[in-house]
Amino acid sequence: MKLYQMVVKDVIRRKKRVLYASLGVVIGVTTIVAVLTIALAAEANIYGQIEKYGANLMVMPAISDIDIGLGGLSLGTLAIGENYISEDKLPEIRRITDGKIREALGIEDEGNIATIAPKLYMNTKVNGTSVIVVGVDPQEEHKLKTWWRVSEGRYLEGPDEALVGATAAELLKLNVGDTITLNGREVTITGILEETGSNEDYQVFVPIETAQKAFNKEGLVSSIDVRALCSACPTADIASSINENIPGVRAVAVKQIAETEMGMMEKISKFLLALAGITLAVGCFGVVNTMMTSVHERIKDIGIMKAVGASRNQIIKIFLYEAIIIGVAGGFFGYVAGTLLAYIVGPLVFKGVAVTYVPQYFLPSLVLATFIAVIATVYPAFRASKIKVADSFRSL
Amino acid sequence: MLEIKNISKIYGEGPAKVVALNNVSLRVNEGDFIAIMGPSGSGKSTLLNIIGGLDYPSRGEVILDGERIDNLGENDFVDIRRGEIAYVFQEYHLLSSLTALENVMLPLTFCGAEKGEEQALEILRRVGLAGRAEHKPSQLSGGEQQRVAIARALVNSPSLILADEPTGNMDQKMGREILDLFHQLNKDGRSIIMVTHAPEIAKQAKEIIVLQDGQIVDKISQQGGEQ
Repeated sequence: MKLYQMVVKDVIRRKKRVLYASLGVVIGVTTIVAVLTIALAAEANIYGQIEKYGANLMVMPAISDIDIGLGGLSLGTLAIGENYISEDKLPEIRRITDGKIREALGIEDEGNIATIAPKLYMNTKVNGTSVIVVGVDPQEEHKLKTWWRVSEGRYLEGPDEALVGATAAELLKLNVGDTITLNGREVTITGILEETGSNEDYQVFVPIETAQKAFNKEGLVSSIDVRALCSACPTADIASSINENIPGVRAVAVKQIAETEMGMMEKISKFLLALAGITLAVGCFGVVNTMMTSVHERIKDIGIMKAVGASRNQIIKIFLYEAIIIGVAGGFFGYVAGTLLAYIVGPLVFKGVAVTYVPQYFLPSLVLATFIAVIATVYPAFRASKIKVADSFRSL
Repeated sequence: MLEIKNISKIYGEGPAKVVALNNVSLRVNEGDFIAIMGPSGSGKSTLLNIIGGLDYPSRGEVILDGERIDNLGENDFVDIRRGEIAYVFQEYHLLSSLTALENVMLPLTFCGAEKGEEQALEILRRVGLAGRAEHKPSQLSGGEQQRVAIARALVNSPSLILADEPTGNMDQKMGREILDLFHQLNKDGRSIIMVTHAPEIAKQAKEIIVLQDGQIVDKISQQGGEQ
């Protein structure tokens, strides 16, 4: 029988106490695993968005306030104000964008490269309910919104047609073939979009000319989405060039906004991790406490072991082996509990984030928990090793 | 083999001072069977603890095989506990989480022996408990537990066995069996020092030492002891 085998037998007999001792470590590891798992899921979500929209720029009027969504991320608001961009600026924007892309990729093609999709946002009432009508360039918009799927009917083809977001269609009880009135102008619904999970679900899309005529905004657009088509395209460079050369507009590379968001995400993660660290430290004191109790309860056993030949080092080893068992158990349960917690809390904190368990956290959880348990046991073990045999029997 | 010279043990200080042992000297030769007698609080257990290094004397010397051991550090004393001297206690002091066999193997474990199961089983057989090797202490009678404790003391083949009222918790019949076991061990050449307050048990030793108020007041030699 080896020393560790003796410890294992002893731990098995006192499993409740050992689990209780590991509780502090479990709570600490749970918090850390949960925070990291959620943060990772949220980051993956943001990266996914950047991947999807990363080559994009948004061009807005220099003063703006529209709610601009990027998938599930809110990128700011844009209330319908008096400020619009003149359509005349579209060719200039295309010239700058395509020029920069040609420069970056070293191509000489004369045709259009970037997708330039102007939009006119209008707030209006349809059947008494307030909705946002978006005037779009059907061809360009279709190139931009590659994830759009028309669930009923067909995509926009001519003037005075409308494409309705899934939720809007449901709320307004609209079907393909229905006619709705936008600020006095009748349009026919030709298609309904599949749900996208973004604010597009609440909007009504019409050709931009139709929107301009209906709302008397001829020649004006609210914003312009520019898709550069390659992930290596210098979007930030394009944005600054547009800002320099075209007055009255503000161009922002979506990547920059997403990166800002990411930076904030990281700060929040760090803060939560710090909290989790404190939890772990408190858990560590919990282990110290239970271990001290354990030493006290086992004064007699320690005395017996010393009387039959245990050295001080062996007594310390016995407690450290126990700490390793506590740590491994604590790390295991902490990982499982933390992952479950992430699954429950993750979607509440970040809407639409799909939390997945992270197997790479398993081993570090065990190592961290074991490290903490061992550190917490050093002092109690030292105390145990100093117990004098005669005193241990006298104390009974 | 073992000699104690002018041992005193004082607990506490000032008005709370208790003199447990006062200038006690004693010689133990190979093959001795000494019974230490005396009323409660006369210092019997303290004397035994000092001989065995479980406690340190306030004054005096303990000499084992020509070397002082009373001033050894704990780490050095471990070697003596692992070889020369073994203990048997009144309360048996078995580890309740381990089986009888594992309890007997415990000293071997602390010596770093990887196995020792056969050796431990052989000794359990000698004390008549081979059939109960896998029982936990709680499943054994007092006499059986004490025999496990004696087996544990024997597993490292010590030359001196210290027993503190080994039959104190037993009825006469069981006590008789345990005493027979000690006699057997003594015949095999081991020295035995046994603390007891029962005269009929002490009579079976070769020598009786009577302690009172921390001092040896009588030494009775009884050749061979009563069987």
